Amino acid sequence: MSEQLDKIKEAIVGGQHNEIEALVQAALDATLAADQIVNQAMIPGMDVVGRKFSNNEIFVPEMLVAAVTMNKGLALLKPFLQQSGAESKGRIIMCTVKGDLHDIGKNLVIMMLEGAGFEVLDMGVDINVDSLIATVKEIKPDVLGLSALLTTTLPEMAKVIEALEANNIRDEVKVMIGGAPVDAAFSDKIGADGYGRDAAEAVQIARQLITG
Amino acid sequence: MRSSGYQLVMSAMFKGRKGERPPSGTPTSIACHELMDATGVSFPEAHLNASSMAELALGGHEIIGFDTVMPEYSVDQEVAALGAAVDWGDRNMMPDTKSFLYENFEDIAVPEDFLEKPSMRVLLDALAILRRHVGGSAAIIGKAMGPWTLSYHMAGTQNFLLQIGLGETDKVRKMVEQLMPVTIASVNAQFRAGADVVVVADHATGNLISAAHYAKLLLPYHQELTRQIDGPTILHVCGNCTDRLHHFAEAGFNAYHFEWQVDAREAVHTVGDKMVLIGNVNNPQTLLQGTPEDVYRQARYAIEAGVEIIGPECAIPLSTPLENLKAIVTAVREGY
Repeated sequence: MSEQLDKIKEAIVGGQHNEIEALVQAALDATLAADQIVNQAMIPGMDVVGRKFSNNEIFVPEMLVAAVTMNKGLALLKPFLQQSGAESKGRIIMCTVKGDLHDIGKNLVIMMLEGAGFEVLDMGVDINVDSLIATVKEIKPDVLGLSALLTTTLPEMAKVIEALEANNIRDEVKVMIGGAPVDAAFSDKIGADGYGRDAAEAVQIARQLITG
Repeated sequence: MRSSGYQLVMSAMFKGRKGERPPSGTPTSIACHELMDATGVSFPEAHLNASSMAELALGGHEIIGFDTVMPEYSVDQEVAALGAAVDWGDRNMMPDTKSFLYENFEDIAVPEDFLEKPSMRVLLDALAILRRHVGGSAAIIGKAMGPWTLSYHMAGTQNFLLQIGLGETDKVRKMVEQLMPVTIASVNAQFRAGADVVVVADHATGNLISAAHYAKLLLPYHQELTRQIDGPTILHVCGNCTDRLHHFAEAGFNAYHFEWQVDAREAVHTVGDKMVLIGNVNNPQTLLQGTPEDVYRQARYAIEAGVEIIGPECAIPLSTPLENLKAIVTAVREGY
């Protein structure tokens, strides 16, 4: 049993996108539970991917293929997860802030968050404060993740937090921020709840913010 | 005899005799709101109109005091000429490619009149205007996107990088190969139009791909590119590229324009005998959020490390204070 889980984990880490479906199917055929495959093989696999990315052992192409592999495996498992009513680890809204069209960093964070079992709503890029606030009110996420690549768009992050306060919903959602020009000092300065240096750290921050 | 900025930059570009001070230089955009206000030229017209483009670039030399002028602020001039839809942005927003023409990696059709398309014509005309205004007093820098960056714009960055991860290297090479003539034509046309030096920006950055992938998938093309280019060139690659400096040194560019993330002393130690180094004052923390004293200290650190031409590490944020940019000029004017 653990050998099958190990193989799935290795396939995620190695981006074996052509092999993953057969491996997951074999695990299901061997009566392993879908949530066990996700929690004991796929999520730990993505954690390894995140660590390797943080350590510059792998780069964006390898991350992207790991995510493709993860998604192929998850697609097979989804019907079983829905049947068993497996719970999401938390609900997260992600977007790149107003004036910024860069999405790779945000997408990597989303891949890692989904790989870690979170339910993520991707609002896309260049998102203005008003539509963000409306969506937060509607979806009531546990965490709001804001991304920016441009230094010019950093002030937008502060505007989002100010708008959450003005709408009296700041206490209802945790805010995590990230992107090339962002650092911990900036995060503290604007009153965000967490800052992730990269996609792997974003997952850690989300876990901390949700579990407390 | 007092050397002009042009003389200092060009001598530095060939590791020639040092003048009385190091030159300051700006291979990437120094367009910022205060410079727009001072010159009366804003975005998007500085991307779309040759005299506006040149006017804003001149501000970098005449108002801030840099020894170079560089009139291309976007990364989209070639992409637009290739037919991609470009949002030219506004005063607060840099342009961005809105459509990826070759997401499926089909054969790329480069228009025969590529250099005559409006987005290229404006750049070439701006260089000619600058030559008439500051030729011989400031070094005129042109800028072209390398085939790797052009591929990001043709296929979409994430899509292009995914193909590398999937091992579709033939696909990747084919796209880069097809875009090589675009970069070569753009660079050589900029020399003919009036550029003294041309920057080739090719974002094989430390945060995106590995050094091994650079060596395998792009270095051979850079070597071919530099063989076919007529004048002195600067390679610009952002991010922490410490692990691939030695590869850059084999590519045939005269100089490398680098970020603060690469320590200046380490860069000089690793490739200083093979390439001219340009940079590397930090943008987000120092030029944008720091004080003139912070900028001055970083510029002096770079000078003392042996960096030949001192300037911002990359295109500066639009809200960068002018006084912080002037602190770079103050630092170089103190001499070695």
